Amino acid sequence: MLFPTATFALFFVVVLPLSWLLMPRGERWRPFAVAASFVFYAGWDWRFCFLLAFSIVWNQVFALAIHGRADPRSRKWLLALALAGNLGLLGYFKYYGFFVTSTNNLFALAGIDLPLEARSVVLPVGISFFTFMGISYVVDVYRGDFRPAGFGTFAAYLSFFPHLVAGPIVRPGELIPQLQTPRDPRYVDTSRAFFLIGTGLFMKVVVANFLASSIVDEVFGAPSQHSSLEVLVGVYAYAVQIYADFFGYTNMAIGIALLLGFTFPQNFDAPYAAVSITDFWRRWHMTLSRWLRDYLYIPLGGNRGGRLLTYRNLMLTMLIGGLWHGAGWTFVVWGGIHGAALVAERWWRGRPGYVERRPTRARRAWHRFATFQVVCFAWIFFRADSFSDAWDVLVRLFTAWGEPSPLVTGGVLAAIAVGIGSQYLPRSLPLALMARFSRLPVPAQAALLSLALLVTHALGPEGVAPFIYFQF
Amino acid sequence: MDEPRRRRRRPRRRTAEGGRRLHSAGSAVAVSLGALGLALLLNAPGLHKSATIQPEGWKRDVALAVTGPLADVSSTLLLDRPRRALKAALGRSDDDRVDTEVAAPEPEPGEPVSSPGPAPKRERFTPKRKLRLWVAGDSLVVVPGESLLRAVAGNRAVAPVEKIEGRIASGLERPDVFNWFTRVREVARTLRPHAAVVMFGGNDDHGFMTGLPEGREVDGFGTPSWTAEYRRRVAAIMDGVTRSGAFLVWIGLPITSDPEQTRRYDAINAIVQSEAEKRRGRVAYLDTYFFFAGEDGGYAQYVENAAGKLVKMRADDGVHFERAAGDLIAEKVLALLEERYRIVSPS
Repeated sequence: MLFPTATFALFFVVVLPLSWLLMPRGERWRPFAVAASFVFYAGWDWRFCFLLAFSIVWNQVFALAIHGRADPRSRKWLLALALAGNLGLLGYFKYYGFFVTSTNNLFALAGIDLPLEARSVVLPVGISFFTFMGISYVVDVYRGDFRPAGFGTFAAYLSFFPHLVAGPIVRPGELIPQLQTPRDPRYVDTSRAFFLIGTGLFMKVVVANFLASSIVDEVFGAPSQHSSLEVLVGVYAYAVQIYADFFGYTNMAIGIALLLGFTFPQNFDAPYAAVSITDFWRRWHMTLSRWLRDYLYIPLGGNRGGRLLTYRNLMLTMLIGGLWHGAGWTFVVWGGIHGAALVAERWWRGRPGYVERRPTRARRAWHRFATFQVVCFAWIFFRADSFSDAWDVLVRLFTAWGEPSPLVTGGVLAAIAVGIGSQYLPRSLPLALMARFSRLPVPAQAALLSLALLVTHALGPEGVAPFIYFQF
Repeated sequence: MDEPRRRRRRPRRRTAEGGRRLHSAGSAVAVSLGALGLALLLNAPGLHKSATIQPEGWKRDVALAVTGPLADVSSTLLLDRPRRALKAALGRSDDDRVDTEVAAPEPEPGEPVSSPGPAPKRERFTPKRKLRLWVAGDSLVVVPGESLLRAVAGNRAVAPVEKIEGRIASGLERPDVFNWFTRVREVARTLRPHAAVVMFGGNDDHGFMTGLPEGREVDGFGTPSWTAEYRRRVAAIMDGVTRSGAFLVWIGLPITSDPEQTRRYDAINAIVQSEAEKRRGRVAYLDTYFFFAGEDGGYAQYVENAAGKLVKMRADDGVHFERAAGDLIAEKVLALLEERYRIVSPS
């Protein structure tokens, strides 16, 4: 069930009032929320529901077992088992084919024919997201940061449909306390919710879909058929497409949760206005960055073991983060580029005698420009189907200037400008718009929203393309 | 003395960051329902089309039962006007139109449509006189089409006339989803390709057809009435392309992970193959079945390529192609094109 569809709208107009009616009675609301979330998830494939149910039971059983033991050794073993279950599930469904083909082909180079059989495994939507949330729950309980919640509360936490298939990755401490206390029906931040849903819909349905069909798919499908200008604009367009797609989805997720009374963490903060790659990762998919920092980078040793170990940990975190995005070596390279950039920045700032220069407007503009180029360079590997495709894009960037560029239209440039320009708007603007909207009477709010839906539906192409991040 | 009556004070209206007012849950529900209700009326023509082009089944029946009257109300209240105006301003006035006409070209006098003609002359194409190539079909054509365009990228004697037209969920059964019969005629007239590479049928294994001639009915997939009508449509596409002198390569449907679906695809392939045979020299049918069969002859997602490397050929849905499969098909398509035409490109 995709958010921008009539099916979801129908689902939500039933769930929203029922959720508020049941809200005062937590023991009724939680089963209802779990049931609604399973219905939502079954919209893709009902068989995936067993996997989600397994993940709920597995993580809750281990969280309780870890919490109930004082002996550090057995706690550690239980944690290891819990993690093995989570990662085993993810590994099988997401990486089995990748592992088998990579291993077979590696051994084939040495003339060894391995009997590993590559069979079809369907990737269940959202598995990476709910697995990471399950891991953070068990680890937080192990660290003593969090007491295990009741079964119903945990089931609602892991399966809650607004975040289920593509995040944001909500930490137990952020959502479980909200699920344990009924939300106050008198104070709902409706104007922010509608603003997030509206902008999310527009970014996904209009900007992302338009750029994908107008230039991105064409350029990355057959780069050598296109001029250098088309390839360059195609790469920038992909940067905007993936931002609009994922930002759009999480905006809708956060807005939908807000309408139900729950607050999710922010997932994007104008990432293309970042002045360094370090800054970029504070602004892009923020909930994943925090997750990788707290459950991977810090356990690896973080920056506690000296410079070289810090570089190693940064690189490993980004390589694994790359692999999390997809079972392919191009994703690893994407992570590697970001890891190398993070290491370079840390090395640069860590040089003896380094003094941070006063940030002038021109310097900031240059840093933003340079950061955006590095990010776009890495996106080429993220989007390309193979290294040879990525190479074709890079070669074509420099070898076909002056050729006709029919794909570079005013509409494409305008959509790119909207995607990037929106990140430079003053923060006070959306706040002022939301405040003004919140003061309108209910019929006027409904009328304005319906007009926004009219424009989005009319401008968008027919049908809804799947969200890019669903495959992760 | 009575105690003064305490006035119950309403809690102060709370505000959030930026001074925006918080509202009650009832207001959230009312705004949501109101906005969606009004948006349904404003977008009624588009929603009705979306309902019409859904796959056959109860969901489509329900959607049509709801959106039909909705479109009537919207039209009566003139609420469909803003959408129509917006679409017209975007130059997309036809977006909400449902076109089901199966435009089959009339046979030209004396033309042997249904029997193989003499082998046509092997035309020569050079960088000065480029071979104009059109690639189209349902979503299955996208990956092989991209591979084909990559393969001919260095060939200055070949020029794609348009971007790859891979229309999701389209086919020959449902012109209401996308009317390929109209599109083929339009392309033949305006773009005048010398060669077309098409792939249809991936969404046609259901038996539900729209655009049937008055009084004609089909009984279900694979029945004689369905086969006759589908054959007529395949012929219409083939004639629509070749009538202007273009050579057509029709990529056959592949084996899939669902044996039942593979059987239905076989039935479609048989029709296409026999119609192509009738137009030998003008239409070539490319059988893809064995490209993607495993050692046991059944479906395989991973297959060894020519270099003996195990590669993922098929997408996780068991139907669509991965890049390696596209490259393999493109290689065969290119061989067929080179068999038919002399494509001379100095290196």
